[in-house]
Amino acid sequence: MNTTLKMEHISKQYGEGTTHVSVIRNVSLEVKAGEFIALVGPSGSGKSTFLSMAGALLTPSSGTLVIAGEDVSQASAQRLTALRRKHIGFVFQSAHLLPYLTVRDQLVLVTQFEKSNNREVQTRADRLLQRLGLQHRMYHFPEQLSGGERQRVAIARAWMNDPELLLADEPTASLDAVRGREVVQMIADEVKLRDKAAIMVTHDHRVLDLCDSVLYMEDGTLKKEQLSS
Amino acid sequence: MFLAWKEMKHAKARFILIGFIMVLLAYLVLFVSGLANGLQADNVSSIQHMKATSFVVAQNSDQRLQSSQLTEKQWHELQRTKDVTPLGLRMTSVKQQGSQKKIDSTLMAIDPEQFLAPTIEEGQAVTHLRPNEVVGDYSLKEHGFMLGDVLVETMTGKTMTLVGFTKNELFSHAPVLHMTTQGWHRLFGAKVSWNAGALRTAVHLPSIKGVEQASKEEIVQSVPGYKEEQGSLTMMIVFLFVISAFVLSVFFYVLTLQKMSHFGVLKAMGATTRYLARSILYQVLLLTSFSVAIGVGLTLLTGALLPSTMPFHVTPTLLLSCCGLLITVAILGSLLSLNTVRKVDAIEAIGRAN
Ligand SMILES: Nc1ncnc2c1ncn2[C@@H]1O[C@H](COP(=O)(O)OP(=O)(O)OP(=O)(O)O)[C@@H](O)[C@H]1O
Ligand SMILES: [Mg+2]
Repeated sequence: MNTTLKMEHISKQYGEGTTHVSVIRNVSLEVKAGEFIALVGPSGSGKSTFLSMAGALLTPSSGTLVIAGEDVSQASAQRLTALRRKHIGFVFQSAHLLPYLTVRDQLVLVTQFEKSNNREVQTRADRLLQRLGLQHRMYHFPEQLSGGERQRVAIARAWMNDPELLLADEPTASLDAVRGREVVQMIADEVKLRDKAAIMVTHDHRVLDLCDSVLYMEDGTLKKEQLSS
Repeated sequence: MFLAWKEMKHAKARFILIGFIMVLLAYLVLFVSGLANGLQADNVSSIQHMKATSFVVAQNSDQRLQSSQLTEKQWHELQRTKDVTPLGLRMTSVKQQGSQKKIDSTLMAIDPEQFLAPTIEEGQAVTHLRPNEVVGDYSLKEHGFMLGDVLVETMTGKTMTLVGFTKNELFSHAPVLHMTTQGWHRLFGAKVSWNAGALRTAVHLPSIKGVEQASKEEIVQSVPGYKEEQGSLTMMIVFLFVISAFVLSVFFYVLTLQKMSHFGVLKAMGATTRYLARSILYQVLLLTSFSVAIGVGLTLLTGALLPSTMPFHVTPTLLLSCCGLLITVAILGSLLSLNTVRKVDAIEAIGRAN
């Protein structure tokens, strides 16, 4: 199996002197294609920070970070942006859709940052929306959708650039249990179907059974948790 | 531009409102510019139309044509220079024979065979002008004058026949009546001297006592009231541009601030600052061009509706330069927003509820 994400002895510190905080301490992790990993842990333990580094939004203070075969430990902001565009899909806690784009355009937008074949983009968008059960919502604006539907659009959008790695930060936080489970199920299905990797931060222990493994973060360090079910 | 266009389409009301204010700004700028241009034409168009490049005037005249008088001796010496042609100029008033209503006008004496001769729009060719005949600016028509009318010059009481119309021949806010040098002598006597000698090419003048050479621009600048009039209007226009720059900057900045969280998400998704900047510039350009185009339309409409006695005059050059300047101002106004977008960090999108 291909390694999608490789972290070796990663640390992250913020600030200097009296404001110095060590958020991530010496974390190593390898994620392979086809793996769906859950990340749990108390608030403030560094989950979002960890995810930001895995998603090339942040560079680590020390350690080696390899995303999709590229060492980005010291990459420039421009390099990171290009990497995110090509290899990473994000699902944020609140869907973060753009209010002025229809569901379909939310997906098309992802491909607009570079030159792209429009015909192909549209069929890809349509196929994704169909798979996530949103075809009848294609021309709606976010304000016309329920929270669950918005989160599904966000997932469709995250898959749009065909990323190696999907990162989700509490994607179910604003959903009820049933909708939340549905959304996680969709991520899991896509991971298996297309042999991708995904990491999801969550506080919802009822969806952990849909993941391949669960990592526990506490005070900036990772522990592997056995699946309890 | 996908993003820019979709957003404008969705937030129509907001963009139309901003566009509306930009239309008003453009209209105001263009209107005042048209007014400045019209007043300028009213004041000096006759001189600006002259094919002369410089004038020889009396030294103590402050380069004012009205107060310059060349002595007979000076004129005699000047005539040795090839290409110099006389110009007589007097502010007066005329009335139609049998009428009591006087209107101000500027009498000009020229040699019809020489380059100061005006272009005739209607009526008799200037080269066939007899001493008792004059041609006058079109604006006389507005005052009820017609070809063939007999005019009375009110200072001398002498009469002359209006045989032709010229266009844009005004001086000191009064229509110019052109007559021949013989006509001038007929009115004011054989001994009168000229106000100035006009030159078409740069020639080295023999040094003549008591005269100086002034460029056409210097003569225009010295027309009474010209500098003050243009100065205050130019000031207004400059202020309008400065105000536009501020208003537009604030508009664009507020629009951008409202979208900060969107920019963070877009950057997280891999949008480059360049893409976002292009998107903003595209919106600014689209909005500005539309608004300015409507402003131009309104200005032209105003020009067509205003009575032609109003000193309002727009030219393509004037319109184009004003529009260019407005678009430049709008782009400058968006720089603040562009810098804000540059500083947005993609990290802000993650780990936050909103
Ligand atoms: N830019 C920053 N500067 C300084 N400290 C920061 C910064 N970003 C995060 N931190 C600190 O790092 C720690 C971990 O933050 P992080 O957001 O990763 O936690 P989390 O596990 O995602 O928490 P939650 O479950 O509440 O979302 C926190 O103590 C936070 O205050
Ligand atoms: Mg978090």
